[in-house]
Amino acid sequence: MLLPTYGILAISVFLPLAVMAFFSILKRSPFDPGPLTFTIDNYLVFARRPYLIDVAWTSIQLGLWTTGACVAIGLPAALALAKATRGQSQKILFFLIILPFWSNGLVRIFSWTMVLRDGGVLDYAYHQLFPSAAPLGLLYSFPAIVIGLVHAYLPYMILTCYLSVSAIDDQFLEAARSLGARWPTLFLKIILPLAMPGIVAGSVLIFVPVIGSFMEPRILGGKTGVTMGTVIEDQFTQAFNWPLGSAMSFVMLGFILVLFGTFAGALKTRPVAAA
Amino acid sequence: MRTLGIGWLMVVVGFLYLPISVMMLMSFNASPFYTLPIEWTGHWFAQLAQNERLLDAGRNSLLVATVTAVIATICGTTAALVLGRGTFRGKRLFQILLLPPMAIPWLIIGTAMLVFFHWSGIGRGLHAMILGHVALSLPYVVLVVGTGIQTLKPELEEAAMSLGSTPAHAFFAVTLPGLMQSIIAAGLFAFAVSLDQFVVSYFLAKPGVTTLPVEIYSSIRKGFTPEINAISTLLLGVSMVLVLAFAWLSNLGSAAHERR
Amino acid sequence: MSAVDIAGVAKTYGPVAVLDHVSIDFEAGRFTSLLGPSGSGKTTLLRIVAGFVIPDLGTVRIRGEDVTAMPVWKRDIGIVFQSYALFPHMSVMGNVVFGLNRRGIRGAEARRRAAEALETVRLTGFDDRRPKQLSGGQQQRVALARAIVTRPKVLLLDEPLSALDRRLRQEMQVELLRIQRESGLTTIFVTHDQEEALTLSDRIAILDKGRIIQQGEPSAIYERPRTRFAASFLGDANFLSGTVVRGAVRVGNVTVRCDGALPADGTTVTLAVRPERMAMVALGDGHGDGGNAVMGVVHTVTYAGAVTTYRLDGPGGLALRVFVQNRDGTRFAPGSEVRLQWSPADTVCLED
Repeated sequence: MLLPTYGILAISVFLPLAVMAFFSILKRSPFDPGPLTFTIDNYLVFARRPYLIDVAWTSIQLGLWTTGACVAIGLPAALALAKATRGQSQKILFFLIILPFWSNGLVRIFSWTMVLRDGGVLDYAYHQLFPSAAPLGLLYSFPAIVIGLVHAYLPYMILTCYLSVSAIDDQFLEAARSLGARWPTLFLKIILPLAMPGIVAGSVLIFVPVIGSFMEPRILGGKTGVTMGTVIEDQFTQAFNWPLGSAMSFVMLGFILVLFGTFAGALKTRPVAAA
Repeated sequence: MRTLGIGWLMVVVGFLYLPISVMMLMSFNASPFYTLPIEWTGHWFAQLAQNERLLDAGRNSLLVATVTAVIATICGTTAALVLGRGTFRGKRLFQILLLPPMAIPWLIIGTAMLVFFHWSGIGRGLHAMILGHVALSLPYVVLVVGTGIQTLKPELEEAAMSLGSTPAHAFFAVTLPGLMQSIIAAGLFAFAVSLDQFVVSYFLAKPGVTTLPVEIYSSIRKGFTPEINAISTLLLGVSMVLVLAFAWLSNLGSAAHERR
Repeated sequence: MSAVDIAGVAKTYGPVAVLDHVSIDFEAGRFTSLLGPSGSGKTTLLRIVAGFVIPDLGTVRIRGEDVTAMPVWKRDIGIVFQSYALFPHMSVMGNVVFGLNRRGIRGAEARRRAAEALETVRLTGFDDRRPKQLSGGQQQRVALARAIVTRPKVLLLDEPLSALDRRLRQEMQVELLRIQRESGLTTIFVTHDQEEALTLSDRIAILDKGRIIQQGEPSAIYERPRTRFAASFLGDANFLSGTVVRGAVRVGNVTVRCDGALPADGTTVTLAVRPERMAMVALGDGHGDGGNAVMGVVHTVTYAGAVTTYRLDGPGGLALRVFVQNRDGTRFAPGSEVRLQWSPADTVCLED
């Protein structure tokens, strides 16, 4: 009964990963003529080509900035959603926030080009105010990529934070208030710690895909959009160095598994209601 | 404080819908270079109707999404039933095995699929994409149907049996109708996931055989044409309608259980 | 004639023996309750009769036929679950005709019989409603109608009233009794509520930890409980421990007599006396009637309208309880010294 499902998963996910692992230790693609030679050179590529370390660092920075922005924007939004709205309007707002999330990611990124490009909406508005200024040059830059990614992944963070925050009993806050606490204390001492599982869960859910992204950097970053994602993608579609691409993918996968391992505890306890 | 919060929410919602709205508006802009101000026209949509590549890709997308939805729903539902009702050793393991497709970045899964399919002879193309999309949707289907199963009490089947139903009859007469909402919702989900899927499709596409997102991507890389806006607007519209349908169905289900 | 016959049934889940050699007959047409705390095995026993659980040992016979291994759907039973388990996607009528359809009765004939059953449970006119549109009490009636419409060989009720509030519960108890009498179905009723069991049953079987402690008519068990458990689960009891001495029991330095046979001299026994069978008399008010008596000091007084409960300290630190009907408003204050009197006929010597 379970066979079809797990059979499909086996063929599409588990076997491919296994085979890719196999590829990663080959010197040349097995489709090239000649005998198979094994090597771990592909894994040492980071030592061999230092520029890759820069690229990896760019990816990580992308991840950090995106995640950070999502927390900064998303946590207050989740708080507001959970505590400042009620009933029907709460449901509607919640739905509005989740809706873009389910629309096509590519199209959403593309829509940002409309806004950010020279001659696009922001540039146009800016030039209405300052007609002789130079073009804003917002597109094709690191910040542009971050904006696009934040826009794409923000709903994740709002969702996970919302789940944590809505479990905070209002009575906690009222009790603290009655003891004299004001907003900064309330926030730091009560809300933040209790919302932490949601923040951590959201961060992991955002950071992981972001460091592997290639579509967003290419579209919004242009020439400056070089990340681990684009480099890996290149190996498969341009350079056809599949062994190298495979190895890089596994390095990234390893990094991700370490991340999961570190934060697994926080992820598990995520939806537990406070008290 | 409260007004601040609501204000911020409005800002966030505005931020989320800003680029999408702009893009939708632009698809009605006559200027091929997106220059503002907007000159209204439906020209690009008409143009779209003649763009064979995009139309082809659109048809492929719909085909792949439909087949994916059907396969993923059937497989996922049976898996959810076995996992939800049965108790057997290794059940935990099977549940954990559903996590990787959801947790691993699509880039890695996509490239792995490319490697394996090429090497094993499965090759690229629509069938490969269907296989890949199904694999990605399966965990979600199992999740949605699994949740539906949990809200179904096993006593319903017991009651049916006490009245003379064989287990098979009880399943079809009682359990399945109860699950129908979850199953349809899961199907819609799978359809939406497949329709919007870019990364995996990208790696598994063949020249001449692509889906809409992949085609849009190539067009973007080559240069903008407003037809992309038009098709994107359409795609966006379809996705949102699907989500609305899914939400409406889920609401019906939870409202029904709320009366107790 | 017994409708359901359980012989030597045992069921173990892992290290836990949920039922341990249980044998009991259920008389045809009678209302029997399985009474016990949670974990006593009463629900398991019910489910064995239903066929959802196959016992490890023993046999189950329904009207003489061995059904121990027969699957549920072949046994001719009706069952009402605690959660009613109405089919949510079917109407009330759809739910009630379900069993009839399975037996080949369809169409107008099925609807007619269903309407009869619905009338029996006083729920006419609800045919087209969906379960979610009904209140708890109404859903219960539908569940009942659904179970009895097929005139099963035995009707099984698994704590069907526990989800109802007190008032509704009492109403449904009366209804249930009426329906059972009218239909004449052999009924097995599982509950943990001793009051409910007393009110409804022709016979009660008390279970604890997988065994039947005592079974019989309600009054018989109440008047003559055999074990400490039976005495305290069905009603309240005062327990006095003592040693058998020359045909009576020495409790501390008081001699207590009871009406039944006693074990040999020197054996330690426990006696049980129902709180309402003790009379409280102020010291100095005559000296007894030749029955049993102990001295006590009133500790707490709880007034509950019709009855006042006194908790007393007896000899040797014994805790005693007395129920006094508030007939003439006399009350004893805490600290009062009183004499408790009761008849040997009301003194039961327990078997454990």
